[in-house]
Amino acid sequence: MRLLVSSVVSLLAAALAAGAAGAVAADAHYTLDAAKSTLEYQFTQAGALNKGKFTKYAVTLDVAGDAPSKLDVVIEMGSLDTGDKERDDTLKTADLFSVAKFPQSHFTSTQITRTANGYDAVGKLTIRGVTRDVHVPFTFSPANGSLLGQVTLRRLDYGVGQGDWKATDQVGNDVAVTYALHLVAGH
Amino acid sequence: MSIRNTPTRWGHIAQSLHWLIVILIIIQVILATIADDLPIGPKKIEVYAWHKSVGITILSLAVLRLLWRWANPTPELPSTLKPYERMLAKVTHFGLYLLLFAQPLTGWMMTSARGFPVSWFGFLQLPDFVPKNQALYNAMKETHDTLALALYVIVFLHVAAALKHHFFLKDDVLRRMLPFTKRKSE
Repeated sequence: MRLLVSSVVSLLAAALAAGAAGAVAADAHYTLDAAKSTLEYQFTQAGALNKGKFTKYAVTLDVAGDAPSKLDVVIEMGSLDTGDKERDDTLKTADLFSVAKFPQSHFTSTQITRTANGYDAVGKLTIRGVTRDVHVPFTFSPANGSLLGQVTLRRLDYGVGQGDWKATDQVGNDVAVTYALHLVAGH
Repeated sequence: MSIRNTPTRWGHIAQSLHWLIVILIIIQVILATIADDLPIGPKKIEVYAWHKSVGITILSLAVLRLLWRWANPTPELPSTLKPYERMLAKVTHFGLYLLLFAQPLTGWMMTSARGFPVSWFGFLQLPDFVPKNQALYNAMKETHDTLALALYVIVFLHVAAALKHHFFLKDDVLRRMLPFTKRKSE
C-alpha cells in the first residue's frame, strides 16, 4: 500500500513537473515544411527583371521564450531553378556558382535582435566559399510558423561572376532574395 | 519634295521610314549572326538584347509606316507594267509589310516563350507576349528562322525589281523613293 501511494505521488509529481515545464518552456526548435515554403530571387538580365528559385534547402529556427534565437539555412545550390535549363546549367559552372566545388550555401546567425517590424538575424553567409557578415531581416509568427522577409545581396561580393561574368551591365550585381517559409515546431 | 506622298512620289516621311527600316534590318541580320556565334556569356546576352530592342523599334516603325501609308496617296505604278508585273509588285510589297510585323512578333513570342523578358534598350520592360512554354519557343524559333530566309528572298526580288526599273526600264520607280533626287519631269 505504502509502495502504491508513493508510486502514485511520484507519478503525479513527475506529471506536474512536466506540465510546468511545458507551460514555461516556449523553447522550441522549428524545421522547414518544404512543400509550403518558397525561396526565390530576382535579378536583372539584359535590363529586364528575371526570377528564379531554389527547390532544396533546409532551415532551422530556435526560439527561446518567445524570441527567435538562432537561424540556420543551408541551400543546395544544384537545386537552383530559373526556368531555363541552359541558363541553370550556365549558373552552375565554375565562373558562376561553381556548384561542383561549392555545392552548398550556408547562413548561420550569430545574434538575432528585435526590430520595429520583426527581427534582424546578424550572421555569416557563405556562398561559393566566400563568407561575409550579413543582416537577414525577417518576421516570424510562432502561431502559424511563417517566416517572411527579403534581403538584397551582391553576387560579386561572393565571387559569383568570374571572367566575363564580372561585368554587371547585362547581369546585375544586386540579387533580391525573398523567403516565404513555413516552419513547424519540433523539439 | 513634300512631307506627304503625292500620286507620283514618296514624301519625306515615307522615304525616311523606308530607309530607316532598311538600315535597321541590316543591323538586325548582323546582330543575329554575331549573337548566334558567340559563346554563352554577357556579350551574347548583350547582343541579343540589342537585337530584341531593334526588333521592337522596327515593329513600332512598321505600325507608323502602315498608318502613314493609309493616310497618304500611294504613288502609282508605271502604266507600262503588265498585269502580272502589277500582281508581282503587290504580292512582294504585301510580303514585305507582313514580314515587318511577323518577324518582330515571332521574335517577341520566342523570347517570352523561353521565359526571357525583353527590355527596350534598358528603358522599358515589355510585357511578356505569351506565357513560358518550351514547345511554343521551339515552334517560334523555327518560324523566326524560316521567315528570315523568306525575308532575304523577298528583299532580293524587291531590290532586283527596283534596279530593273532604274537601269532597264529607265523609269522613276526607284528614284521616287530616293532622297536628293529629282523626277525626270521636275
